[in-house]
Amino acid sequence: MPINASKIESILENFVSGTNDIQGATLVSTDGLSLASVLPNAMDDEKVSAMSAALLSLGERIGSELSRGSTDRIYVEGDKGYGVLTDCGDDAVLLVLANQSAKQGLLMLEIKRLTEELKLILM
Amino acid sequence: MSRSELGDFCSIVCFKAAIVGMEDALGEKATAIALTTAGRSRGKNLAKDLGLTGVNADWDLIRDKIGFALGANGTKLCKIEKIVEEDKLIKVSTSETLGSAGEVEGSSRKCTFTLGAVWGALEEITGKRLRGSHTESLLRGGNYDVFEFSPLV
Repeated sequence: MPINASKIESILENFVSGTNDIQGATLVSTDGLSLASVLPNAMDDEKVSAMSAALLSLGERIGSELSRGSTDRIYVEGDKGYGVLTDCGDDAVLLVLANQSAKQGLLMLEIKRLTEELKLILM
Repeated sequence: MSRSELGDFCSIVCFKAAIVGMEDALGEKATAIALTTAGRSRGKNLAKDLGLTGVNADWDLIRDKIGFALGANGTKLCKIEKIVEEDKLIKVSTSETLGSAGEVEGSSRKCTFTLGAVWGALEEITGKRLRGSHTESLLRGGNYDVFEFSPLV
């Protein structure tokens, strides 16, 4: 069944515009292709997609090589904000960007809700 | 800076060692994503340089131009044997690919950079986002290394 990219994009748009401190979100395939994205203009969608998939794959390798188990999430914390990569089923990876004001607990809860919604569409 | 004695070419042995080293450090999947992405960028730039952006040319002409640039008289990445399009599926048959060089029969190695290079060129030529895969291999009984591309969405 083909992926409904416009529906995914609409969900991402609602998430980004309706959640405080979120700056962008993108859903990419595990081989690094963009499925839908709502990112700040300066960001190159294709590069972000490849980075996201490669980073999650690297996290999975760290998990297995260093006996950390399966990787659910990779969390990047910088002085300007957060980048959170989350496994979104067998075929997709979700990247969410948030500013430094974001409350981490709330951010994780919102991401969890979003991944559950997206997984239903990707099934 | 140009290399006055060594020229533009470097041995496959060194290139393959770089790939195997990346796979050891980063894992096969992350390496494949990085090399395919690098290839796509290379392919897009190549198609731009050849003036093929958005052209509506026949696939034989495109095969000749891309094949010349990547083949025996070009960068020697691979030979492009044929490009055919059937029902929105573009099939590119290649031979003497960089990925298959030095591999034993039955090896599971896939062409990642070469797949990406052809992929990027086709995206630039067609103006469409494509999904690509390596479907047939010289190393696993195929007559060619075949790359297939279909519209992403």
